[in-house]
Amino acid sequence: MEEKSALDPQIVGFACSFCTFKASEMAGSLRMKYPDGVRIVQVPCSSRVDPAFVIKSIFDGADAVFVAGCHPGDCHFIKGNYFTRRKMAALKEMLDAFSMKEKLRLFWVSAAEARRFVQKVTAMYDGIKEAAHADAGKRN
Amino acid sequence: MKTGIFICHCGHNIKHTVDVRKVRDYFSAFPNVVVSSDYPFVCSEPGQEMIRESIEKEGLQRVIIASCTPSLHDELFKDVLRKSHLNPFLLRRVGIREHCSWVGDDVARNTEKAIRLIRAGLYSAAHYVPLEEKMVEVTKSALIVGGGVSGLSAALFLSNMGMHVYLVEKGPVLGGHVRTLKDIWPIRKDGAAVVGEMEAELREREHVEIFTSTTVTNFEGAFGNYRATLHTPEGDREVTAGGCIVAIGFSPFDATAKPELAYGKDGRVMTTVDFEQRADSLSLPAKPRVAILHCIGSRDEQVGRPYCSRVCCVNALRTAEAVRQRYEGSYVECFYMDVRAHPRGGEEFFEETQEKGALFTRGNVAEIVPGPKGLLVRGEDTLLGELFEREFDLAVLSVGMSPPADSAAVASLMKITLDKDRFFLEAHVKLRPYDTAVKGIFIAGTCSGPKDMEEAINHGRASGVKLYGFLSAGFAVVDPFVAVVDVKRCSGCRMCERACVAKAIKFDEAARVVRVEEAACMGCGLCNSTCPSSSIGLRGYIDSALDDEIAALVEAV
Repeated sequence: MEEKSALDPQIVGFACSFCTFKASEMAGSLRMKYPDGVRIVQVPCSSRVDPAFVIKSIFDGADAVFVAGCHPGDCHFIKGNYFTRRKMAALKEMLDAFSMKEKLRLFWVSAAEARRFVQKVTAMYDGIKEAAHADAGKRN
Repeated sequence: MKTGIFICHCGHNIKHTVDVRKVRDYFSAFPNVVVSSDYPFVCSEPGQEMIRESIEKEGLQRVIIASCTPSLHDELFKDVLRKSHLNPFLLRRVGIREHCSWVGDDVARNTEKAIRLIRAGLYSAAHYVPLEEKMVEVTKSALIVGGGVSGLSAALFLSNMGMHVYLVEKGPVLGGHVRTLKDIWPIRKDGAAVVGEMEAELREREHVEIFTSTTVTNFEGAFGNYRATLHTPEGDREVTAGGCIVAIGFSPFDATAKPELAYGKDGRVMTTVDFEQRADSLSLPAKPRVAILHCIGSRDEQVGRPYCSRVCCVNALRTAEAVRQRYEGSYVECFYMDVRAHPRGGEEFFEETQEKGALFTRGNVAEIVPGPKGLLVRGEDTLLGELFEREFDLAVLSVGMSPPADSAAVASLMKITLDKDRFFLEAHVKLRPYDTAVKGIFIAGTCSGPKDMEEAINHGRASGVKLYGFLSAGFAVVDPFVAVVDVKRCSGCRMCERACVAKAIKFDEAARVVRVEEAACMGCGLCNSTCPSSSIGLRGYIDSALDDEIAALVEAV
C-alpha cells in the first residue's frame, strides 16, 4: 500500500495568502499544469505553519510537505517568514534524525511568480516519484 | 451540524475536467451534509437565490461553495449569507477551478482532487465560529505613481472629489509620452497642449502634491493606510495614502532588437518616436521616398512580442500623412501585415491616407541595407507572392509598446502580478479590469497592456472612480482574524510576546497570562505556531480546523 502511494505521491503544501497562494491562483488562471497530487492549504502567513502541522501531514500519509511564503524581506507581516525559516530549519534537523529530511521543503514564491510556483511543485513531485521508483527497483 | 455544499460548474470551466455529479453524490452521502448540489453558475442571481433558499429552508449552519478561488466573489457570497441571517464567517470557499480544474487535464484524477479539497473545506468549516467584522479608518488620500495621461486623469478625478492626491512622476516633467506627440489624431492638437491643460488644472489645487523626478522606494501597509517612501530630489518623504493607482506607462519597443533593420546603425532609419521629435530638422531631398514599416515589435514572436500594440497602425498613418503633407511629390509606401486602425474613425483615416497618395504593400520587410543612393528595403509582397527591393531616402519604423522598463521593480514593491508579456495583470480581465489582487491598489493606462490615448485616459479615470468608491466610505471592513488567548491554558511563558511582530501581545502581570490587543493584531498567526501549549489561537485558522483540513487532504477517497 505504502509503495503504491509513493509512486503516486501526495503532497500537502502550506501556502501563505499574500504570496504563494496568490501565485497558485495565478498559475490556475494562466492554465498552467501541475500534478494533481499537490494540494494546498491556505494560511495567512507561512509563520502560521506550526511544525506540528508538518508532522501531522506526514503521519496522516503525505509523502512530502512544502511550506511556502513570500521572499525573505517581502513578508506582508514584516518578518513572519524569517521565523518560518528558522522553525523549518530546526524541524528539518529533527526529521533528518528519522531519515525523513527529504519530506519537507521550504521555498519562497512571490505573488507574481506563478511559473516559479509550478516549477517548484512539479520538481518536488517528480523528485519524490523518481526516488520511489528507484527504491522500488532496488527492492525487486 | 447542517452543512450545505454548492458545487459550481463555472460554465465549462470546472465541469469539463471535474465530474461534478460524482462529487455531488459523494457528498450527499455524508451524514451532516443536508444539501449537496451542483449548478452552472453559483455566482449568478439564480445561483445566489438557490443558496439563500437552502439556508432558509434547511436551516444550514455552514455553507461550502466549491467554485473559483476564494479571493474572487468573496464579498458576493458573504452577502448572500448575511441576507439569510447567517454569519458570513460560516462560509467556506473551496477553489476547485484555479486549484483543480484548470491545472490538470485528467477527469478522474481531478474529480478525486476536487473531492479531497471540498472535504478539507467541510472538515475545517465544522470548527468555524461566528465572527464580528472589524472596522478601520481609511485615509482619504491617494498615491498615484506615474504622471502620464492616465495618471493625470486619475489625479484630476480624485482631486475633483476632494481626495488628497500625491502624484509621483519619475521624469522631470508630467505628461509622459503624450507630451512628445505632435498633431494627435483625431483631435489635431499637440500632446504638450493636452497634458499642459491637465497639469495646469492640477497645479491650481491645494490638495494635490506633485513630485517630479521622484521614485517610490518603499511601500507597505494595508488598504486604508498604505505608507510609501518617496525619494524626491529634496530628500525622502513619507506619505500615507488610503489607496494607490499605478500608471507607469510603457516603454517604446527598442528597435535595435531587430538588427536586420539597421536601426541605430544607419541614421536614415528611425522610429515613429524619433520622427515625432525630429520631423522639423530632417534633411531630405526634394520629392523624398519614404518607407513606413508597420508592426515593429508587435505580433512578432521572435522578439517576444506576440501581441498587437494597437496604437502603431494609427501612428504609421499619421506619419504617412505628415510626410505627404510636408513634401510635395513625395513617395510614401507602407509595409503592413494588416492595418488595424481600430479606434473610431480609424478605418476612414486609413482610406483618407490612401487617397492622399500613400501606397500600401502587404508584406514584411526582411532587411534594410545601404544602397547606392539611399536605403534598400527588401522583403516579400505577400499579396503578389513575389520578392521586392526598392530604394528609399528614409525608413520609419512604427514601433509598438513594450512593458515599462521598471515593471518588475514596481510589481515587486506593490505586489502586483505581471502577465506573460510583463505588463501588469488585472484581477479579472473582464469583470475587474482596473483592480489588482491587492485591495486598494489599481492599475491604469498602458502599464496593463497597449492602449491608445483615449483608452489610457478612460482607464485612468475608471481606476480613479474605483478607488474613490473605496475611499469615500471613510472606513474599511477588515477580516476579524485576530489572535485569541485561552487564559485557562496559558502558562505565561511569554514566547508569543517575544515573537509578535506587531507588538499586539501584552503580558498581564496580575493574572500571569498574555492578552491580545485586537486593534494592533495583524492576524499572521505566528504566535499561534509559537505557543508550546496551543493556548493562543488565530480566529479563522485555529489549530483544530487546520489539523482536520490536513487529514481530509490525504485521507483515502
